[in-house]
Amino acid sequence: MYKYIIRRILVFIPMMIILSMIIFGLAKAAPGDPFTGRILDPTVNPEVFEQQREALGLNDPIPIQYVNWASRIISGDFGESMYYKGRSVASLIWERMPNTLYLGLFALFITLIVAIPIGIYSARNPYSMFDYGATTFGFFGLAVPNFFFGLIAIYLFAIKLGWFPSQGTITGTEITGLNEFFDRLHHMVLPGITLGLAGTASYMRYMRSEVLDVLSSDYIRTAKAKGMSDRNVLYKHTLRNAMIPIITLMGFEFGALLSGAIITEQVFSYPGLGTLFINSITNRDYPIIMAIALLLGVTILIGNLLADIFYSIVDPRIRYD
Amino acid sequence: MLFKHRWSLLVISFFLLLGVMLAACGNEDSSEPQDNPSETEDEGKEDETKEEEASGPISGGTLTGAMYSAPAGMFNPIFYEEAYEANILSFTHESLVGQNESLEFIPGLAKDWETNEDQTELTMYLEEGVKWHDGEEFTADDVVFTYKSIADPNYVEAGGIRTAYVQPLLGYEAFVNGETDEFQGVEAIDEYTVKFKFAEPNINPLYYASFTIIPEHVFADIPVAEMPEADESRQPGSVIGTGPFKFTEMIEREQYVLERHEDYWQGAAYLDKIVWKVVAQSVMSGLLESGEIDFVADPNGIQPADFEMVQGLGNIKIIEQPDFGYQIMGFKHNHRTADDVDAGTINPDNWVPNEKLADPKIRQAIAYAINRDGLIEGLLYGRGATLNSPIAKQFWAYDESETTNYTYDVDKAASILDDLGYVDTNDDGFREDPDGNEWVLNFDYPTGNELREKSAPLIEQMLEEVGINVNLRQPKEMSAYVEDLTNDNSDWDLYLIGWSLGSADPDPTGLWGTMAAYNFSRWNNPDSEELMQQALKAPDAFEQEYRKEVYKEWQKIFSEDLPAVILYAQNSLWAYNDRLQGVEPLPFTMYNDPHLWWVTDAE
Repeated sequence: MYKYIIRRILVFIPMMIILSMIIFGLAKAAPGDPFTGRILDPTVNPEVFEQQREALGLNDPIPIQYVNWASRIISGDFGESMYYKGRSVASLIWERMPNTLYLGLFALFITLIVAIPIGIYSARNPYSMFDYGATTFGFFGLAVPNFFFGLIAIYLFAIKLGWFPSQGTITGTEITGLNEFFDRLHHMVLPGITLGLAGTASYMRYMRSEVLDVLSSDYIRTAKAKGMSDRNVLYKHTLRNAMIPIITLMGFEFGALLSGAIITEQVFSYPGLGTLFINSITNRDYPIIMAIALLLGVTILIGNLLADIFYSIVDPRIRYD
Repeated sequence: MLFKHRWSLLVISFFLLLGVMLAACGNEDSSEPQDNPSETEDEGKEDETKEEEASGPISGGTLTGAMYSAPAGMFNPIFYEEAYEANILSFTHESLVGQNESLEFIPGLAKDWETNEDQTELTMYLEEGVKWHDGEEFTADDVVFTYKSIADPNYVEAGGIRTAYVQPLLGYEAFVNGETDEFQGVEAIDEYTVKFKFAEPNINPLYYASFTIIPEHVFADIPVAEMPEADESRQPGSVIGTGPFKFTEMIEREQYVLERHEDYWQGAAYLDKIVWKVVAQSVMSGLLESGEIDFVADPNGIQPADFEMVQGLGNIKIIEQPDFGYQIMGFKHNHRTADDVDAGTINPDNWVPNEKLADPKIRQAIAYAINRDGLIEGLLYGRGATLNSPIAKQFWAYDESETTNYTYDVDKAASILDDLGYVDTNDDGFREDPDGNEWVLNFDYPTGNELREKSAPLIEQMLEEVGINVNLRQPKEMSAYVEDLTNDNSDWDLYLIGWSLGSADPDPTGLWGTMAAYNFSRWNNPDSEELMQQALKAPDAFEQEYRKEVYKEWQKIFSEDLPAVILYAQNSLWAYNDRLQGVEPLPFTMYNDPHLWWVTDAE
């Protein structure tokens, strides 16, 4: 097991190097640079930007820029943002990460507690009214775009009903302690549901079909024939087997949550990594683009690794050596 | 298990691709920071009906303002770049001079001034007893320090871009090149007198003296190169100005809290607090309705499409007035050569004329073919105006009495083209050039400004109406677009761009001078060039009347030679809740004397 994990981690390294080269190449291949988008003020002399380009090394050949960047990364320095003057990339990411992490976990939590019970219930009572209702909801959830659902949610629950705040992560600076926790939670409800919606729908569908699949398999029939109670059949045999694909999905989910967060965070003015990422792409803030892309890569790889490890826990047939 | 590794890479690339694609289609606000305020222009009809409340101003209360993008976080006036920081800095920092509604310079931190005979020296007499937020006294040394910092050899490398304010000052070159430690340009005569010295006679010296002042005692020990990362440039409580409000708290990228500065030299403000919140543009009108947000102004205000709706809310007042920006459709008069583009040189002698648009009559025909009023009605819901010269209407210099004003006239456009020999010879529905060759105009435009994006296909249609074959190409995101616009050894003919201009001086050289980098049309007209220089030449140009005459002539030439059609100038639409009183907007800002703002429901 440990050997396996170490091997997997060692495989990460060449993957990250290749990944970083691809991203760096892509980012640099995109036309424009941090200064082209903002030179539209006639009182600012473009020579100023030329000097700044030179100072930032943007005029060097791209391979040299890559080597410079990579050698700094190896020594643990993610560099300075080109857009947020005087801010280090690490501090910017560090500042936003908790917001995205909380939001992602919250959305995942909502997804799981809603999707799994509904999925199981639907599978046990297939073609019932409830099942049809859940299916309809499932297709609705998959079909409605994130931003649209977000706007509707804001209009209904924040502006018309006033139940939830529509923007930001916290009401004000005066709120502290336990109140702060609840205030943040309160702010997370709408974006969390919005972000979790598509996930909920797809998990529900997966859960339903997996459970249905397992329920019709021979060993379940055997278990039932032995006189095992429905309850035991469900928890001991059905669920454990049905969970395997769900765990694979969750390995990818972190990446999916982050990409979904890009839109959701915009709609709810929720300052997380998604907003930072998208702004950095428009501003051609290369150091930040690279750092977040790497972070995303690492997260997905780790998510996969975790999924594999959980496999062996859930499914005793799977053993790594 | 091995297959999963490959999958991971694929998945990663997929999400990245998704991110890039999303970036390309979303996010209208940050892609063109300087260009954003181009949302405006027209007859100002102040929706202000100042009902004087019987009770008069009361002290207290909190006001909540909104902006659609978070400030980048640079609250040092000499380093900030965007309108979002400006929103906060206009409450916390001040300049020696301001501008009034006629755009004349008026006293600010300087109560009086005089210039010498040839306008090479400007002596400013400062207000006494002005206190910085931390209680220190404001003196002439602060002014000297501010300008010295901008002139510092490390200023540009540290990220500063405001060198235009110090360039004409005496001794700037020597100082910025590190040849001397003494900056002659700005000198403190005594504690409350400061002298600006210019290298040459200056026609608008007050403009150069209008930069926002930073405190010497706070920054004295911080080298200019390290200023951007210093707490004094970014952290609430450490950012110190002389303005009516102090920057006291922030939740980064969400909320920015300003509190009253009790020792403000013009008397403490009525409001206790101003809280800036960052909200999504899509929910703005709802937040105004619910009262969660009290006002929204620069850089975007409310959308023209929302105007009626917001007005119908009843509790909201809208300030509608022309802005200083405009949108143009430019004609590429010339292209640069590949060598010049590589070397980054602008040398009109090497320029290659664009034969497709060489005749000014063609450009005029195109101008006649564009229904500018239609664009304003259809896209801006009437919240804008046509402009017949590239100078904002609020300026004394704007004069359309001798310009050719291209009112929409399809027949005229068609007959001009007919007369020039551009007729359809092969019955494909499009005109060919006089030699019978295909005549296709390439048309490029950027994303980022939704209205401008929508205008491109409309203009294409209008031109095809008169038989011009337009090749409307895929729009590009701003960063990419401007790069292509600059590196113009290309096949571009028509392009869209927006400009937002300052309110300080109408001098058009920065955009339309032959050598100007922003002269994307590569317009090279010796008459225009001469007039622009004439209008800046001392001592004649000390007289505004003289400049006005010269600019009148210049605007005539512009309208005949047409480096660009000025499509429209959008109105700024600023909105505020009617609980806020005492708002006296200026042509260029809503934030005029915010220490006199008050709310009716203060406790």
